[in-house]
Amino acid sequence: MLHIKPILSSLMRSKSGPVLLLLQIILSVAIVANASFIIHERLTMMQRDSGLMEEQVLSFNVYNFDPAIDNIQQNVIDQQILRGLPNVIDASSTNMMPLSGSGWMDRYVDSADEDTAKSMPGFALYLGNEHLLNVMGAKLIEGRNFRPEEINTQLDQSGMVAMVSKPLAEEFWGDESPVGKIMYQGAQTIEIIGVIEKLQGAWVNHENFEYSVIQNIDFGGGLKNKTYMVRALPEHIPALEEAIVKAFHAENPNRVIDGFSSLLDMKKESYSNHRLMATLLSMMVILLLLITALGLTGMVMFNIQRRTKQIGTRRALGAKKRDIVNFFMVENYMICLAGGVIGGLLSLQLGQQLMSLYSLPMLPMTYPIAAIAGLLIVTTLAVIFPALKAAKISPAMATRSV
Amino acid sequence: MLSMKNISKVFKTDLVETHALRDFNLEVEEGEFVAVTGPSGSGKTTFLNIAGLLEGFTSGEFCLDGVNVSNLSDNHSAKVRNEKIGFIFQGFNLIPDLNLAENVEVPLRYRGFNRAERNRRVESALEQVGLAARMKHLPSQLSGGQQQRVAIARALAGEPRFLLADEPTGNLDSLMARQVMELLENINQTGTTIIMVTHDAELARRAQRNIQIVDGQVCDFSMYQKAEQSVVTDLQQAAGIQQAASSNG
Repeated sequence: MLHIKPILSSLMRSKSGPVLLLLQIILSVAIVANASFIIHERLTMMQRDSGLMEEQVLSFNVYNFDPAIDNIQQNVIDQQILRGLPNVIDASSTNMMPLSGSGWMDRYVDSADEDTAKSMPGFALYLGNEHLLNVMGAKLIEGRNFRPEEINTQLDQSGMVAMVSKPLAEEFWGDESPVGKIMYQGAQTIEIIGVIEKLQGAWVNHENFEYSVIQNIDFGGGLKNKTYMVRALPEHIPALEEAIVKAFHAENPNRVIDGFSSLLDMKKESYSNHRLMATLLSMMVILLLLITALGLTGMVMFNIQRRTKQIGTRRALGAKKRDIVNFFMVENYMICLAGGVIGGLLSLQLGQQLMSLYSLPMLPMTYPIAAIAGLLIVTTLAVIFPALKAAKISPAMATRSV
Repeated sequence: MLSMKNISKVFKTDLVETHALRDFNLEVEEGEFVAVTGPSGSGKTTFLNIAGLLEGFTSGEFCLDGVNVSNLSDNHSAKVRNEKIGFIFQGFNLIPDLNLAENVEVPLRYRGFNRAERNRRVESALEQVGLAARMKHLPSQLSGGQQQRVAIARALAGEPRFLLADEPTGNLDSLMARQVMELLENINQTGTTIIMVTHDAELARRAQRNIQIVDGQVCDFSMYQKAEQSVVTDLQQAAGIQQAASSNG
């Protein structure tokens, strides 16, 4: 039997201890539910698939100091050197690195008529040649890649074609295929020739993070300083850095090659704040649950000490050991459930505040429920051991004078 | 009703062995009112704890209500305590956070009675001790005598075969002690066997039978009382014969 009524009566008559514990539980549930939600949000964000071969892509910068250099020619030579290195799968120049926190963003329209043109959402604008898709490991799901003869070297040239990411296509054209559609940048037209399954931009916190466009411009030809991307298997990447420097200097020593970074490292760096937040909040959740568990254990131990004679008397009057264990479990489950329900409601209120203040999504009901369930487990672990100890109190304690 | 044969209880520590009871023998018949007295440390409480199945013993045999209870499991002991034995403690041992009805209800809940049966028994037991009107009061709102009457009601509610009272009047003044004693006598008259441990010689004398525990062994004064009674009867008879002879002469 659970004996809920007398336990409740007893709790109502000596409230101070249980009320303090109740407050602790209420706050714990409210904070743990919201913190867990934020942690989950951050983890989900960090685990988003970039659609790229993050661990296989290495990027670096080249700073040319030779005044006689022909940028376009040097760009072609450099890429040939890179592709000729052992273990290199492919290489390309680029104007920006995905997930790096720095890059290009643009917004095109769907018509040349300014009055009727509809603006597309903002997107990350990648400039590259026919190798870029393969270097990043992105997957083309519709249409085609650039042809070598289509590659431009300047932004203002004609014959612009582009590949767009699927999320961008779906957002703007819905179920309709974007292949063959024309995007307009002022008077310039850009024809869509392919759809990439997934290609994220540079800014992990941006709402248009999944919207990207690659245009047929070998950007390395336009500038003295260039950024290259090289793809190789992860085990070959460490040795590749030295090989690249050596090969580039052999070709032309008047340049500095640095800023080697894998896409994986860039991703880690971009998500570092989120990781820190998730770690801190996780520690806070663990700490809160631990403090609550200690509070529960402390109160149960205090109550056992205070009620030693009462426990002996209950045993003398016919309580079995399991009745004593049940007594303490039920008593604390009641406090925990009451605190859990109030804390759950408070967590929803707190979630509303966070939603309005920090633009967080609405706290789903599953989080308060999970927090209460977690707290029930904590209660069980915190109470069961002292309760088992209490059950060992001899019934003969009833006749002792202390 | 209660039969203890050669019961020994030894408390062992690393250094010493203390014999709380040694070769303790006692037979208590159904319906008896037995007072147990003895000096402090003689083994009274140990006897009471063993008789009430509150603790085990080292050797011997103990039968309660015809059943050997020497080696019962913890759960089985609890069941026997709950169903057959009523306890009255010197310090009343009421639960301060529960009202009188809830206190009396405690053993009934452990017995698994339904609410209607519990309520019936609680009301009846509190009525028996004259406190039915105060069942919603807390123990702290009652005098010591009243609290002990609640404890008696709690013991009676389970309708036990015998009551074990541990210094039931030890914490009461003489008037209240007398009232409690009268209540116990009334309960005994209904057929309930009572064993009462007491320091109070006057109260002990009111019991049908007196035993004294000295150094963990029983000194049964009932045989002295019987012998004394027999001597008195013989003397009275002798005096009667002498009187008759002198009047005839």
